[in-house]
Amino acid sequence: MSLKFRVELVWQDSDESVAESIFLTSDGRVILQGRAVSPADRQALSLPADAALVSVDRKTIRAIKEML
Amino acid sequence: MFLKNFWYVAASDHEVGRKPLRRIILGEPIVLFRTEDGTPVALEDRCAHRHLPLSMGKLIGDTLQCHYHGLRYDRTGTCVRVPGQDLIPPSARVRSYPLVDRYRWLWIWMGDPALADPAKITDYHWLDDPYWGAATQYLHVKANWQLIVDNLLDLTHLAFVHETTIGNSALVEHASVKVQRAHDNVVVTRWIIDQPPPPTFVKVGGFSGNVDRWQMIDFVPPAFLRLDVGATPTGTGAPEGRRVGGISMRNLNAITPETATTSHYFWGQAHDFDIHNPHTTEKVVAQIRTAFLEDVAVFEAQQANLELVPNPPQTDINADTGVIQARRILDRLYQEEVAAAPPIAAE
Repeated sequence: MSLKFRVELVWQDSDESVAESIFLTSDGRVILQGRAVSPADRQALSLPADAALVSVDRKTIRAIKEML
Repeated sequence: MFLKNFWYVAASDHEVGRKPLRRIILGEPIVLFRTEDGTPVALEDRCAHRHLPLSMGKLIGDTLQCHYHGLRYDRTGTCVRVPGQDLIPPSARVRSYPLVDRYRWLWIWMGDPALADPAKITDYHWLDDPYWGAATQYLHVKANWQLIVDNLLDLTHLAFVHETTIGNSALVEHASVKVQRAHDNVVVTRWIIDQPPPPTFVKVGGFSGNVDRWQMIDFVPPAFLRLDVGATPTGTGAPEGRRVGGISMRNLNAITPETATTSHYFWGQAHDFDIHNPHTTEKVVAQIRTAFLEDVAVFEAQQANLELVPNPPQTDINADTGVIQARRILDRLYQEEVAAAPPIAAE
């Protein structure tokens, strides 16, 4: 399937470090780049076992606050 | 909204000589001229005596003589002669502005002169770089400067406003856009892979098949937009950094607010192919100028509507992401300038 229009947002902090990306899709979704939460983490942190969870760092939160 | 503590382009270098040139910048009247040794000068264009524009006068050596009563001002704005009297009132002076000749443009500092560091002038070296062919142009636009910034940060309009020159529908339907935001900078990058080239690229680049095309927009506040654009035959590696067999250009824009509703639009086009052939430069500039005149019609129609209904609500779409980030930077810088400005003394 051909690529549809989509936007990737990247926040660069004053120390030049770069946050992970935020994607805006043509169908209205906001997709965060991060890491999947492992079964071990879900158990240790009492997180939902079945939900689709993504772990993002604080720079991504800063990016959301600054850019969205 | 004007940001004062920034360098702006006041004029193309060839516009300013021994004939005074009037130009309104950030709402202030400025007169530009060169001294006998070629040094460019910018003074307030209003005689301290009876307010006639000094640009209506003439140069006597390195002094500018007012057309009305003959007061003469030196390059610092100090009155050095009042006809018919020896005493020159200390108040007989006009403001002078820092002015720097760089990249074929004259750059003026409209804010606190103590902050005017020429090292802060945005890099436009492509305009006088021997490894690039280049030419500059000027357009006067009856629209607010931010409408032009918005336009250059969102190139999806190319598909609709410029379908006969630099645009085609691939820009909207099949593009991935990356918006990188730093503290005082926005970079919007767009790749259009394996799509037909737009008409201008066919004319100047001679492409016969699909291309991989890039647009990289670098925004520096308040209104500097440097576009790295080009294309190579598809599949030859441009996205990985191998730009071979195609064309690369820099579209270099510097917008200077004239008033709240009018702008000076300085722009240049640089190309990395056939660089010593002035006909190639003319052909490229003519194509881009055609497109920019299409933009000007849009800006002026937007401005006319905004003057009928000021500050109307507006809807943002995904393609506006770069525009929104730039506007946030500009709003923040404006608030910082307002906060840093010295308080106005009470009467």
